Amino acid sequence: MGKRRTTALIVSFLSLQGIGAAPSSPDSKAGHAFFETKIRPALVAHCYECHSTDAEKIGGKLLLDSREGILTGGESGPALVTNKPADSLIIHALHWKDDLEMPPKEPLPPQVIRDFEEWIAMGAPDPRTGPKVELSGKTYEDGALWSFEPVKNPTLPAVADKSWPRDAIDHFTLAKMESLALSPARDAPAETLVRRLYFDLTGLPPTEADIALFRAERIMDENDAVEKLVDRLLASPQFGVRWGRHWLDVARYAESNGNDGLSRNPTFPHAWRYRDYVIDAFNGDVPYDRFLQEQIAGDLLPAESDAERDRQLIATGFLALGAKPAKAMNNNFEMDVVADQLDAIGSGVLGLSVACARCHDHKFDPIPTRDYYAMAGFFTSTETMWGLAGNEKLTAPPTDLHVLKAAPEVPPPPWWRESVLVLESNTGIPKAIPQPKWKAGTPLAMGVRDRKETADAKINLKGDARKLGEVVPRGFLTAYNEQIDSPPISKGTSGRLELAKWLTQSDHPHTPRVMVNRIWLHLFGRGIVNTPNDFGVYGERPTHPELLDHLATRFVEDGWSVKRLVRAIVLTRTYQLDSIGPEAAAKSDPENIWLTRHSRRRLDAEALRDAMLAVSGQLDRSPADGSIIRHRDILVNLASDGLHEPSRHRSIYLCYLRNSPPPELAAFDLPAFNKVLGKRESSTIPSQSLFLYNNPFVIEQSRHLTDLVLSSATEDGERVQTLYRLALNRTPDPEERYRAVELLDETKRETGSAELAWNSVCQALLCSNEFRYID
Amino acid sequence: MLQSASCGFGYLAFSGLNGMVRGAMQDRPPVHPARAKRMIFLFMSGGPAQLDTFDYKPQKGKKAHPGSVYNFKQRGESGLWISELMPETAKHADKLCVLNGMHADTGIHAQSALQLHTGDRLRERPSLGSWVSYGLGTESENLPGFISLNTSRPSVYSSSFLPSIHTGTPIGTNGQAMAKATIENVNGTHLPLSAKRRQLDYIQFLNRNHEAARPGDETLDGVIRSMELGFRMQTTAPDLLDISTESPETLERYQVGKQKGPVGTCRMSDFGRQCLLARRFAEAGVRFIELNHGSWDQHKNHRRDLEANCAATDGPIAALLEDLDQRGMLDDTLVVWGGEFGRPGLTPGNGKNETGHNANGFTFWMAGGGVKPGFAFGKTDDTGARAVEGKIHFRDLHATILHLMGLDPHSLTYRHAGRNHRLTGPEGGRVVREIFA
Repeated sequence: MGKRRTTALIVSFLSLQGIGAAPSSPDSKAGHAFFETKIRPALVAHCYECHSTDAEKIGGKLLLDSREGILTGGESGPALVTNKPADSLIIHALHWKDDLEMPPKEPLPPQVIRDFEEWIAMGAPDPRTGPKVELSGKTYEDGALWSFEPVKNPTLPAVADKSWPRDAIDHFTLAKMESLALSPARDAPAETLVRRLYFDLTGLPPTEADIALFRAERIMDENDAVEKLVDRLLASPQFGVRWGRHWLDVARYAESNGNDGLSRNPTFPHAWRYRDYVIDAFNGDVPYDRFLQEQIAGDLLPAESDAERDRQLIATGFLALGAKPAKAMNNNFEMDVVADQLDAIGSGVLGLSVACARCHDHKFDPIPTRDYYAMAGFFTSTETMWGLAGNEKLTAPPTDLHVLKAAPEVPPPPWWRESVLVLESNTGIPKAIPQPKWKAGTPLAMGVRDRKETADAKINLKGDARKLGEVVPRGFLTAYNEQIDSPPISKGTSGRLELAKWLTQSDHPHTPRVMVNRIWLHLFGRGIVNTPNDFGVYGERPTHPELLDHLATRFVEDGWSVKRLVRAIVLTRTYQLDSIGPEAAAKSDPENIWLTRHSRRRLDAEALRDAMLAVSGQLDRSPADGSIIRHRDILVNLASDGLHEPSRHRSIYLCYLRNSPPPELAAFDLPAFNKVLGKRESSTIPSQSLFLYNNPFVIEQSRHLTDLVLSSATEDGERVQTLYRLALNRTPDPEERYRAVELLDETKRETGSAELAWNSVCQALLCSNEFRYID
Repeated sequence: MLQSASCGFGYLAFSGLNGMVRGAMQDRPPVHPARAKRMIFLFMSGGPAQLDTFDYKPQKGKKAHPGSVYNFKQRGESGLWISELMPETAKHADKLCVLNGMHADTGIHAQSALQLHTGDRLRERPSLGSWVSYGLGTESENLPGFISLNTSRPSVYSSSFLPSIHTGTPIGTNGQAMAKATIENVNGTHLPLSAKRRQLDYIQFLNRNHEAARPGDETLDGVIRSMELGFRMQTTAPDLLDISTESPETLERYQVGKQKGPVGTCRMSDFGRQCLLARRFAEAGVRFIELNHGSWDQHKNHRRDLEANCAATDGPIAALLEDLDQRGMLDDTLVVWGGEFGRPGLTPGNGKNETGHNANGFTFWMAGGGVKPGFAFGKTDDTGARAVEGKIHFRDLHATILHLMGLDPHSLTYRHAGRNHRLTGPEGGRVVREIFA
């Protein structure tokens, strides 16, 4: 299909050559937006089957997939008369008038027909024109390569309601709303905003004391209070826990290799150091360009102290953490590792599926296979160190590791014995526990370093490492050649440092756009580009392209500071809107693309667990030390549930074994961490209800919450008040209170236990939607 | 039309507590007489080699060419050609409707598997099971309408933009022991069931107030329904999952726990247990049950791994067909077998043992549920490289399945983000009436 489509695009552009500037019509942005949102989808859904260059037989010689086609028309003449819907053939056909009945099966809904009339009345603005664009041997529809174009710093669009915007960002969102005749919701009430800010910035609910402080400050100065709160949250070490977790999704972070395809799953006992590095980087607001340089070439950067050296080596764990397929019978193993690294950079940093070009020129994006191998050379010249990996030669053969200098030695306790034994499948004898070459407790880190011999890679024909083609000098994606500098690669090095610099130059069209989009996504629940890992031709287009560029410009000018950008965004009026908006907007725009309100979001797996621990008074906010598998260099295979241990630390410190996730998190769409992940799924399935009803973790937290509530007062009504304040940051209304006491009494009567009755009420609040969804 | 029906149910859902419990997933009438009430999809992930299983390609002419490298025989009264690798399934040849003209758009596993499941190969869309659940509701009040066994990825049971109650419930994860697979957290003894019900009444009272203050958010409604369904599953599912009540003869016939291996790409899937569970769920009224075995992606050790994959699935599938037939359920249960694409054939005698992907021609089979028994439809060319007759695209497959289930593939739509979506996409699919009994 893809192939066909590409060809079709070329054909349709060839047919357009020779046509000068498009006929004059109000091709305003609003007009094009109208076309994109109302007309194009209808044409694609109902007309292209017979009226496009893709159609098997073109109906009535009429093509509707280009502006020229519509204006020229088919056998019956031009399909439309600009500005005159009543005279336009297409409108007659849509109304099933004059024997002309289109689409043939049934008429379109009246609203869609009205959209067509309106569109023609406004001059039939149609962006499907413009010059054909050629890049890397492919031809593209104008605008398809939008993300390869330089980031512009757009001027602020004019808005009618000048009093509304609080920040430049608000100009862009409001202008869009106004152009679509939409209006924003009211501002969120203070209580809503506080909960939202705590969860978004720290992944935790506010405590009673937090809310009291905010209330007190608000009495002094309303706006100032929000700024102060935001600054407090940004300075809190819990910020790095929350935002570090987002990056760990991108980095496909996990503490075991995962099923190698042959059901073997070695642990990565040192992976947690990378986790801690990421948390610290977000807390320290390490500039994003620097953050990337450390992860891609930290081993090649100068370091002034052992601690800095350690830190930078640990950062390169980014390139070593991937899930690897079995080495056994796999000639492509080394190139599989490289493919994972290129995908982490392609999808994770550039928002481009570079890895697709491993076997053939990219089907859609301007990424020829040559470019893939030009970049692969950086990594074939690099030694990737994942460690012993359970000493299983058939999976990922053991490698060296970075030995850290400043990190303390932590030997296993004297009583330590490995308790997880894996049996050899063919003999049934327990596998030997690997003996590392390092003294027990030596601080080690996964990561990369340059090979002694560095060399350019050869093209693997069809991705087969045994069929080698020409050598490709190391380099970068050629699609950018005319735009940004390609630094020369220093002799005798892998070139990763140059790669890191190339990725992070301030005028790179992708790196900043992709990151600001990720940040936006975590604050609004939807990216400006809804495919956060794909800014390519087949990714979705930005809903607010100018805003995206504005953010990217600001991000780079502000020193690639994540904290400053988060701060700016959460202080906008747009972010602070209520989640309940005008009903019309909710109907016409259920996905809230146009940001007329704040999108309600479910707590993700980690935030739900952390929130339960927090309100039950059990959360240990300090960082956990290492990992429960730090001394276990073993194959856990798939039966590793037994490894997980209860913990009171934040969820990020649980053991993220691939194919064996922490049971407290597994129910709520925890990803597999096999590849770059930009956005968590948010499904609603009965198994989640079952988790809330019966999981021992939930029951235990309701018991702890019971203790807090029972000790707070002696009268049940008052205790219910406490419970609501602790769990939902508000007081119950009379009915909620009355019914809670009723539930208590009935359960007491039935079970004979006041404690069980309280457990039930406490659990009820932890299960409620109000607890689990943030407005 | 279905659109308004769906709104109707949504409205019913709030007309009262009991109305809410029932209305949410009520059994709905089909739009035309249904030939199948439920479907069991045997998803063979990885791309099964059709030329060595159900699409017989003997050598023609003097020059050796790709084709079947295993022995085939004509089976049953129908004389369907089935290979020696499927001896047990072959005994049910007269129940099968073999579709040899399947074709798809891409040979990329993830994309083609996604297209097979959702109609779209790039974007997240509702899965086939979710569409069926949306169109027909569930026959059971205590079980989800859609269960996905030994599943490998959430996208195969995702309801995407359809109301989330139509999401499939996974049991077991591909790669983990099916014997231990259960619906997680289905048991809890911390409170007596009656106290749990009372607790849930309070939760739902809170949830409904919460939702009423937030109009237009379908997710919240989905959660409310999902809480009810989860609650009822606590009482029903544990018994269904407990196969110890089955006779030793039955367990033997299904080969529960008997899979040897893993062998190469053939992973442990305890397909016997999956098939037995599928039968039990079908009996209990689950509308759509998906099973998963893989991987059939036997690139380099074609023969060894293919033999292992066939051995792991052949007996259990035969037992399932036999039991459905014996219970009279095959008439209204549509069984569908197939993977995301097929494979090119090996050339006999040239010593090669490696196959790749082939999306241009491959095989599915169906049984029961209103399709012609003992029937072969469609053809690939002499080397099995591409479908040449009776071509069926995934879109057509989807249209046909929906039609058999009593749904109109063209009008089973859901409005989302300003336009109507359907499983068969803008192109639509062809209902392959030629295979109807």
